[in-house]
Amino acid sequence: MVNRNLLDLVMVVEIALLALAVGVFFAHGVWLFVTQKQFLRDVTVARESLNRLLTRGTINLEDIDTLRQVPRDAQVTAFLEASRNLTGAGKERLRFVAGEVSLLDRARKLCVSGLWTRRLRGARVLARMDVADPLIETLLADPNPAVRAQAAEWAATHPAPSVISIMLTMLADPATQARFAVQDALLRMGATAADPLASFLETHSGLPAESGLRVAESLAEPRFLPAALRHSASEEVGVRTAAANLLGAIGGPAAAERLVALLKDPDSLVRAAAAHGLGRMQHWPAAAQLAECLRDSAWRVRRDAGLALRAIGAPGALFLRRALKGNDPFAADMSQQVLDLPAAAAG
Amino acid sequence: MEAVLLLVSQMLVKSQFLVLVYFLGVNSWYLVLLLSSLLEMRRHMLLITDESRHLLLSSTLSPTISILAPAFNEASTIEGSLRALLALQYPRLEVIVISDGSKDETVRVLVERFDLVPVKTIYERRINTKPVRSLYRSATYPSLVVVDKENGGKADALNVGLSFARGELVCAMDADTLIEGDGLQRMVRPFLYATDVVATGGTIRVVNGSEVKFGRIVQARVTTHALAGIQVVEYLRAFLFGRLGWNRLGGNIIISGAFGLFRRESVVNAGGYLHDTVGEDMELVLRLKRLSYEQDSPGTIAFVPDPVAWTEVPESIRVLGRQRDRWHRGLADVLWRHRRMMLNPRYGVTGLFVFPYYVFVELLAPLIEAAGLLTLALGLISGIIDWRFAALFCLTAYGLGTALTAFTLILEDISFHRYNTFRDRGLLFWWALMENLGYRQMTVYWRLRGLWKFLHGRKDWGVMERKGFQKPVGVVGTN
Repeated sequence: MVNRNLLDLVMVVEIALLALAVGVFFAHGVWLFVTQKQFLRDVTVARESLNRLLTRGTINLEDIDTLRQVPRDAQVTAFLEASRNLTGAGKERLRFVAGEVSLLDRARKLCVSGLWTRRLRGARVLARMDVADPLIETLLADPNPAVRAQAAEWAATHPAPSVISIMLTMLADPATQARFAVQDALLRMGATAADPLASFLETHSGLPAESGLRVAESLAEPRFLPAALRHSASEEVGVRTAAANLLGAIGGPAAAERLVALLKDPDSLVRAAAAHGLGRMQHWPAAAQLAECLRDSAWRVRRDAGLALRAIGAPGALFLRRALKGNDPFAADMSQQVLDLPAAAAG
Repeated sequence: MEAVLLLVSQMLVKSQFLVLVYFLGVNSWYLVLLLSSLLEMRRHMLLITDESRHLLLSSTLSPTISILAPAFNEASTIEGSLRALLALQYPRLEVIVISDGSKDETVRVLVERFDLVPVKTIYERRINTKPVRSLYRSATYPSLVVVDKENGGKADALNVGLSFARGELVCAMDADTLIEGDGLQRMVRPFLYATDVVATGGTIRVVNGSEVKFGRIVQARVTTHALAGIQVVEYLRAFLFGRLGWNRLGGNIIISGAFGLFRRESVVNAGGYLHDTVGEDMELVLRLKRLSYEQDSPGTIAFVPDPVAWTEVPESIRVLGRQRDRWHRGLADVLWRHRRMMLNPRYGVTGLFVFPYYVFVELLAPLIEAAGLLTLALGLISGIIDWRFAALFCLTAYGLGTALTAFTLILEDISFHRYNTFRDRGLLFWWALMENLGYRQMTVYWRLRGLWKFLHGRKDWGVMERKGFQKPVGVVGTN
């Protein structure tokens, strides 16, 4: 029924596969056991040398030599560990030592490698050591999003005009990972990035504008007002919503006037953002318009209008109480819920 | 009469060959999955080497996560469980405990130990659920919300949690799940990498036998308990080469109910969890996937190979049998509900490859395996099938499977190597060998029983008895 040779062949193949798997599994175990122990010893040696080099006033050449002799992986681990806890002069000293043991040169070589994984590794070392190197700036245009994101993380601490300019163009990066890193880096740059961002927002639209408006909202500087006003008339819902949020964060009569107009926007997300913004500004002259929004067909708009009225204070509370007795059951229900809220939950 | 006997013997032989070809096909496909998972694992390990997550931890742009933790009669363990959840390392975290009509002191314990005060809040009830009795916030933990509602089951409790959640992402978890301290940071990665991700799942490991302190794994160990030990190997295989392999091929449709992260808006728009199924977690994921094709909306289901959570597995045959029976009923129910996707080009890879795989390899496997074993026994007794064929059958059905499992152990060892001692390696390999000697055949029986119950419309959960850890852990556990 079954050829004996076939059976033998299958059996031999399976035994070979199993033996191979077992061999590799246990051999890898032995290899791990040996290398991990050695790695821990090497890292300990590197940490101790590095610690002495960083804490003593003078550079001890013996320690530098010791560090040079430590295998690369252990060296990188020790330096990256130390980099987390150092800033200013301490970090400067760490960079000096890293340069002396050729860690930075190796990282630079990795950055120009043809393999993205190596470029990522190199960028990680240079970024964590805060090295101001034009090489890493070039990685902002890397084809791999993970490398671009890593370079953007580095850029947060190196806000040169050329870097900011590239970062702004990356607000339209198709990869979410890179876009997130860019937005975060621009936020960390703070005021330095505000002017270029404001100029950028005045000339761009679509996804880059939406990403930029999110950053601008967190910075909440008045210089973004012209851009926010312009984008509040955008055809894209996401952009209008982001602009409304930014207007609410900036405040002022012009922003309030525009937000009141946005309460009539065709999209409920924009109307809700406008109501929220007016509440954030505690703009009491808009109480009547916000009270109108209590009758909105979208729950979200009704909620944000109710909360905004509450945030406004006495004039808002007056409209909420009036809505309780009105003929719209949805407005009355939302008013009741808002008035029932404890103080802490009203924000 | 002789003609009939001849016909029967021919049919017996042919059916054996068919079963043999089936196993050969399945194991060949597993080999493809193994290779795919090797490539995926390599890419993942290269991405995370020397990775720093401080950007995520300190950024105001990180997405907010709401953990939904349903609890039913968990008065004795809820405090420890909740403290472990509140200590998770994630910057923008909200923990929502939903007491699903607990009849014990669960709510009182929570109120006393976490300084809870009754509050009112505005929430939109976009999914129909059982009524909410009261809502509490903690005066000492601003991120904690406790909802006390009428009993309606786990799916209902999760749906209530969805209404109260304010996070962009929601994390659904199970009673016996221990989440790693940085588990959420790892799970959130795919949402940052792509805009079309609606859900992520991570690798769930077996906690039995490991050392647990304050709701965290201190030392991962392989248990010496046979039933739990074999499940350690089973879980490794399911996650490390099953789901990881499918991840690269774009065919993930399962996220463990023990720990999964979802985009809240997508789940709410899809209608939340279904009440009338025992496979509510798989059902939700498949529905999200299906809707993504029908509405041309985002629908990527991502898998993170990092070990992010640990779960307690049954150590008694009775409880394990009930669990597997329920899982198989759930699978059958979900595949039946979405049968329209089967071989339907409208649903792309999912309809043409993944769905048929789940039907022919996951759902019908116990039927085919049972038929194969039965006809093999009949053939051997009657002398129609010789021992060589029987040996070939066992080598194809079980031998190849064991070899593939052994390669999965290598995959774990070269990536995360959480089982680090030679004792654990020896045990892992031992349990991999033992799996085929009785355990696998028992699972065939349980899964057949599940299919039978499904055909008779049974939708009960059965009672899951937990042995518990040294220190209290997971929250959930609803009826």
